[in-house]
Amino acid sequence: MPKIPVDKVEPGMKLVKPVLNKSGMVLLAEGTELTEVWIERLHNMGIEQIHVEGQSKPLAPKEQVLEELSLRFKAVKDKPYMSTIMKAVREHIESLYDGS
Amino acid sequence: MKACMMEVKLLRDKIEHIHTLPTIPGVLKRLSGIIDNPGVSLNEISHFVSNDPALASKVLKMVNSAIYGFPGRISSISHAVMLLGLNVVKGLLLGVSVLEVMQQAMLGLREHSIGCAVAAKVIAEKKGIKEPDEISVAGLLHDIGKVILILEFPREYQKALGDAAEKGISIAEAEVLTFPESHARVGSWLAEKWHFPKSLVEIIENHHKPENSRIVPVETAIVHVSDVLIRARGIGFPGDSFVYPVSQSAFEKLALSESDLREILKIIEHSIESTQEIYSEE
Repeated sequence: MPKIPVDKVEPGMKLVKPVLNKSGMVLLAEGTELTEVWIERLHNMGIEQIHVEGQSKPLAPKEQVLEELSLRFKAVKDKPYMSTIMKAVREHIESLYDGS
Repeated sequence: MKACMMEVKLLRDKIEHIHTLPTIPGVLKRLSGIIDNPGVSLNEISHFVSNDPALASKVLKMVNSAIYGFPGRISSISHAVMLLGLNVVKGLLLGVSVLEVMQQAMLGLREHSIGCAVAAKVIAEKKGIKEPDEISVAGLLHDIGKVILILEFPREYQKALGDAAEKGISIAEAEVLTFPESHARVGSWLAEKWHFPKSLVEIIENHHKPENSRIVPVETAIVHVSDVLIRARGIGFPGDSFVYPVSQSAFEKLALSESDLREILKIIEHSIESTQEIYSEE
């Protein structure tokens, strides 16, 4: 879910988060497909960055993330339920790299 | 006076008179004057917040974020109080103000706290708890004692951080080598002094030892497991780089399977990304 400056936004991009003004009111709802007119108005309202669909920020290398995970669990992996938790987190992390 | 000679009573006195501490930022001082009053009304809170537009905007961003599940629909503080209740809004005001200082106090503590708020909410909903937002606030505030200790005793706290890294122990274990009590107790004093609900006081105090919780054992177990899970996932920095062992009875109480955990982690991952941006926009 990248956040990009409004001047990099192109028509057809879709909002993954609503655009709010300074007081938290919704200007454009989540899911809105941006048109040239909307982009122009966002500019005019002084909105600087918005969230659009697409690849999220790059993840650290998988091997490194998994190694850090083992280090965090080093002292406790034999304690009750800690292997269950570690396995769930490891599989979760692996799933973040699937299909990317 | 040397830190190791510090007495519990002295420490508690200092924490309870936090508004007189020179290191506490103005917003927290002013806020303590408001939430210290058990009979504080919605009007007073609205008035206080409306005099501080930056604070108001942060609170609204927070309630409109993924944590509270009202994306983009809450437009005023009084609306927030209607939907979330006075206690949650009081907690959020404190949370938001504390988050401001957190990043200066300890890099990564803010991410850890936001992560725990999200995790607590997700687990509470999964377990069908009636007020998931209140537990989420408890997750957000569970480490408030760390912030206060760092602000008031920066040198001593640096030593605790150093001990934790050097000896490979948890920050809570390292704290009691220097202070008479850990951040959990310190945080609970503050919550008590500020007339937060007893449940919140108990959760903060027992988040490492959820089996000691008397009035809200399930809620305390949720914040405890959230803390472990966020550490396990490596989100933020709570003062040390280790996962501490989960309380066996707390984990059994919640009866989360491995696939439950994966599902919770998945929701957390998405919510956190959208919530952290509340702060990265500055």
